[in-house]
Amino acid sequence: MSAIAHGAIDCDVHVEPESMAVLLPYLDPYWHEYIRGGRIGIGHRLYPASEALSARPEARAAGSFPPADYSTLRTQLLEPYEPRAVVLTCVASFQAGRNPYYETAITRAINDWMREEFLDRDDRLRGSVVVPTLHPEAAAEEIDRLGADRRFAQILLPVRSETPWGNVRYRAIHDAAARNHLPLALHPWGGVSMAPTTTGGAASYYEDYLYNSQIIAPAQMLSLVAEGVFERHPSLRVVLAELGFGWIPSLMWRYDKDWKALWRETPWVRDRPSVYIKKHFRATTSPTQIPRRVSELEVAQFAHMLGAWDFLMYSSDYPHDHGEDGSEKLLGVLGEDGREAVLRGNAAAFYEIETEPAGVTPPETDEEARR
Amino acid sequence: MRVVVGRASEFANGDRRIVDVNGKSVGVFRVDDTFYAIRNRCPHQFGPLCVGALAPRAVSSGPGQFSMDPGVPLLACPWHGWEYDLATGQSFMGPGHGNVSARRYDVSVLPGTELESAEQSAGGAAPGPDGRVPGPYVAETVPVFIEEEYVVVED
Repeated sequence: MSAIAHGAIDCDVHVEPESMAVLLPYLDPYWHEYIRGGRIGIGHRLYPASEALSARPEARAAGSFPPADYSTLRTQLLEPYEPRAVVLTCVASFQAGRNPYYETAITRAINDWMREEFLDRDDRLRGSVVVPTLHPEAAAEEIDRLGADRRFAQILLPVRSETPWGNVRYRAIHDAAARNHLPLALHPWGGVSMAPTTTGGAASYYEDYLYNSQIIAPAQMLSLVAEGVFERHPSLRVVLAELGFGWIPSLMWRYDKDWKALWRETPWVRDRPSVYIKKHFRATTSPTQIPRRVSELEVAQFAHMLGAWDFLMYSSDYPHDHGEDGSEKLLGVLGEDGREAVLRGNAAAFYEIETEPAGVTPPETDEEARR
Repeated sequence: MRVVVGRASEFANGDRRIVDVNGKSVGVFRVDDTFYAIRNRCPHQFGPLCVGALAPRAVSSGPGQFSMDPGVPLLACPWHGWEYDLATGQSFMGPGHGNVSARRYDVSVLPGTELESAEQSAGGAAPGPDGRVPGPYVAETVPVFIEEEYVVVED
């Protein structure tokens, strides 16, 4: 496994309530009965304990993952690694079922729990707003409810959606995100019945986990650009969290190429798609997914193709374990300034987290390489 | 060398003919009341440009908003979809903010004629009438005019 960086701004750290009982105080009594009668728990199968990916050895040894409360987070991550800031993610509502009103209630409860359990206790912590994906208008209301609390840094969306996130049916969410100046963060997994591919579901966890980053995330990127979301909202930004980024350069190349001939269907896309992608998207570093045997030169070429100096924001994805994922190798080719940008500067600017400024200019050869 | 293509009245609006002009394959098009002639060779990879579709210019003020610009239509190469202004041969990228570096090009002013597009002279790197950004290629246009009711191209 890759070491956790010390003193970074960590853009993807998982937390999760230990049980549904923890959330009941944040739910209307109507839902207490619904939950009791339906035997609804907080558990899900997105990161099963049996999978090596689900927990780093130290988290597994501690017996509790992801951290369920502030003291566990402090012991496992904040004290040993002293991050400047941490963006917390909770995916517990991603499989909340098919009832849009329950999804509205449980996401609101998780947000209130995150605020009281974490954000109120440590200035370094930032939250992610989870929203009801089956009820875009209610999602917009929740974004508006919390938008003024700037400790919430982003809106967390499951990468699996009923239709791609750029679609006009999600306009209420796009508009609310832009209105509240909050980025959208796409993260692996999603709701029950949301097939990970157009041809159906996966037979194994192995396939299913990869679908998130290699199959679905590219589709979401295409959708958000092609549907003109960034023309409607020139300031809207999107984070790809835990979705890798090795797939982006080839997609940008092909996307630009086809746009020259197929632009007529989407005449509001006024720039090459890669221009929107580099301007509006950022990716977190874990998993880096660079093979061990790739040469330093090739990693540097990849970094130039992606524009890694500006595009990447560090994440540990704690407590998940992606093995030796090449993140150190990638940081190694970025130079001191680039390393600083990825570990702290880019996230500080993106999330407007006040910390030491780290202005970074990519090497001059970067522009050359992009051409 | 002048080549008579046919009677102007034989061309309905939108019709085209591909003819041999001094050993070169040239497409002659009628769009509304204007005739255009352009070499049947895409400068990108030499595809048969003139068998491609005439592509309308679409303009948009935002997602879901569509309208048509009445300007000179574009001709799309059937091989890779590069699109060329029929009057100037200028290729265009997508609708743009000027992100693509454009190459200067020269378009010769055609001899005085009744119907062809002499007034649409050299454009340089300016965006097209629909705001699109010139691309790197310029297809070879050919003078075309009407003489005694006949469509004539000259090479």
